[in-house]
Amino acid sequence: MEGRFPGRILPYALLFPSIAVIAVFLLVPAVEALRLSFFEVSPFTGRGTFVGLANFRELVRSDIYRGSLSVTLLFAVGVVALGLAGSLAVAVLASLRLPGFGVYRTVLLWPYALSPAVAGTIWALLFDPSTGPVTVLLRAVTGLSPNWMMNGTYALAVTVVAATWKMLGFNIVFFLAGLQAVPQELREAAQVDGAGAVRVFWRITFPILSPVTFFLFVMNSLYAFFEVFGLIDVMTQGGPGGATEILVYRLYQDAFIAARWGIASAQSILLFVMVGALTLLQFRLAGRRVVYA
Amino acid sequence: MTRICARGGVVVLLLGVVGLLAAIPPGAAQAPVKITLWHAMGGARYDAITKDIAAGFNKTHPNYVLEPLYTGNYGETVTKAIAAIRAGSPPHIVQVFEVGTQTMLDSGAIIPVTEVVKPGDIDFDDYIAPILNYYQVGGKLASMPFNSSTAIIYYNKDAFQKAGLDPSRPPATYKDVEAMGKKIVAAGAARAAITFGWPSWMFEQAHAMHNRPYADHGSGRQGRATRVLFNEPFGVEVLGRWKRWADEKLLAYGGREYAPNKAFLSGEVAMLMQSTSQVTTIEKAAKFPVGTGFLPRIEGQPAGRSVIGGASLWVLRGKGRSPQELDAIAKFFSFVALPAETAKWHMDTGYFPATRTAVALLRKQEWFVKHPNHETAFKQIQEGPDTPNTRGVLLGNFVQIRNITDTAVEKALSGRLSPKEALDEAAREANKLLDEYNRINK
Repeated sequence: MEGRFPGRILPYALLFPSIAVIAVFLLVPAVEALRLSFFEVSPFTGRGTFVGLANFRELVRSDIYRGSLSVTLLFAVGVVALGLAGSLAVAVLASLRLPGFGVYRTVLLWPYALSPAVAGTIWALLFDPSTGPVTVLLRAVTGLSPNWMMNGTYALAVTVVAATWKMLGFNIVFFLAGLQAVPQELREAAQVDGAGAVRVFWRITFPILSPVTFFLFVMNSLYAFFEVFGLIDVMTQGGPGGATEILVYRLYQDAFIAARWGIASAQSILLFVMVGALTLLQFRLAGRRVVYA
Repeated sequence: MTRICARGGVVVLLLGVVGLLAAIPPGAAQAPVKITLWHAMGGARYDAITKDIAAGFNKTHPNYVLEPLYTGNYGETVTKAIAAIRAGSPPHIVQVFEVGTQTMLDSGAIIPVTEVVKPGDIDFDDYIAPILNYYQVGGKLASMPFNSSTAIIYYNKDAFQKAGLDPSRPPATYKDVEAMGKKIVAAGAARAAITFGWPSWMFEQAHAMHNRPYADHGSGRQGRATRVLFNEPFGVEVLGRWKRWADEKLLAYGGREYAPNKAFLSGEVAMLMQSTSQVTTIEKAAKFPVGTGFLPRIEGQPAGRSVIGGASLWVLRGKGRSPQELDAIAKFFSFVALPAETAKWHMDTGYFPATRTAVALLRKQEWFVKHPNHETAFKQIQEGPDTPNTRGVLLGNFVQIRNITDTAVEKALSGRLSPKEALDEAAREANKLLDEYNRINK
């Protein structure tokens, strides 16, 4: 049944609150960010001098910004690859009808419910260079005492693992739902034809999961780019020596610590363009291989 | 979608209500005058500032109400204050760390303390000179001294004893740190010899301790700094020594700010260079006898003095303050300056007792006899010459420059760059920021 609104004003009146909220909290700041990116702004008066593309030029030329970009890409690749592979593996295990599988499923979702700050604190405590249980264990087993406050590669690895772990529950839920949509007949038919478990997984389950995988691929990329700020802030503050300084963290430093609004706005515009391009690329390249059965 | 709509509706409604409330004229004249204080004292200090200081002031001054508000760490508090200045509704008082001094001076939004406090109300001559000097710019007291600190070295007396060292003798020089450190590690008394918090600040301390300029124009004390000088041979030597400690497994770098305290308290590391503001906390938490000493000096370098850190209270002008508000602020500062309050604040935290009267009061109570570690920083700050370099460096964009030098220290310690390369890179970035700052704030 098709309902119609009486009159023309009511629908707009009803839509107005959400439009107003979007305008006030999304559109206006976005336009303002674009405008500010062409200015050098005084933090106190808010008055700016027009500098054209100077902010962008400085960013592109800055070794630190380029370093931050490569850290971000490494970080994102790590989080997406590890996150998808890990959660798919866990989801396949969790979909087995083992005794108590309901409990496992619930427990697996927990990390997602934690705030990034709490997750960061847990991992920072685990890997603390002097008292962390993981450090103590590593020292006992290998004799090495890795210090992620001094070793950039190790710090990046730990933050990638922490960020992945945080997103694991989200991924598993989608994979579990996807796995339940795989028709049992297909698998049984393949088994009758003599296909082993591995073959069944790659030839039947995995292709049917492809829409879910693609969705998670996009979501995890966005997560790695935008949503790990809290984790980084609690764990490493971008250190040591910028080894975990992802673009969002650098942006925060420039905007909210240094009050360099102009260059920070330019960074947000660049970040927006980069992630937009990346998402488009993903839809173009990976999207084609997805089977929407 | 409906949920978003509903939420949007609620927001709009709320905005409307807020608007209505704002339109109601302020209450009758009898209402007490309210002043706000934005501060960055989290954790255990939160109680000290809200329960002791603010509540104490409000109790003794029925006409005035001081409302303290925790606004995040030092960096965030400065940024929030700047945003509030722009929006035209800043707090009356904001606590700003030493790094924000130049920024506050150039903000055009402050009222110097000397213009708020009537002459004679607070005896500023009673303040310990090196502390007061930090906040004095161009001969004028810009902000109210509140929680001043400096860095000292803490050491684990048990570990010293185990390594066959004299537990009453802390290292005096870098060579001592190296020789004692090697003994400590060899004896298995600790896994590493030394660590420190606030790497950039320790780097600044090393410059001041040897009367070296950190930036041009007398480290920014004789005019706006335009170039940093920390990548000169002296700075490279300091960072080079730290790097050598790291290579010889003497130094276990533990991160910025207070994170390394954990390594010291757990007994993993035998010595810690850290702010004196941690002395109460560390003494309480340590399961071993804690000793303290002056920051170790680099042999063969000229004598300087350790530099003041911590924070002070700044008065913000806003759209103008009424005489009552100004009086409330002045009364609050007088309250903070009371010997009993200053002494209590020192005992609770380890920050300096900033006035001579407060020190005399503490001596009368034999506080320093019972707590000698609380006196170390105080003795240290009174040694050495008063020069622009030892008064503490002033830089525009200093918050960000600290970040840059932190990064340089970490890059050198982790071996990604040599100390010279790391400092040169940092100096280039810092100078860019100084240029930008001086361009914007003419």
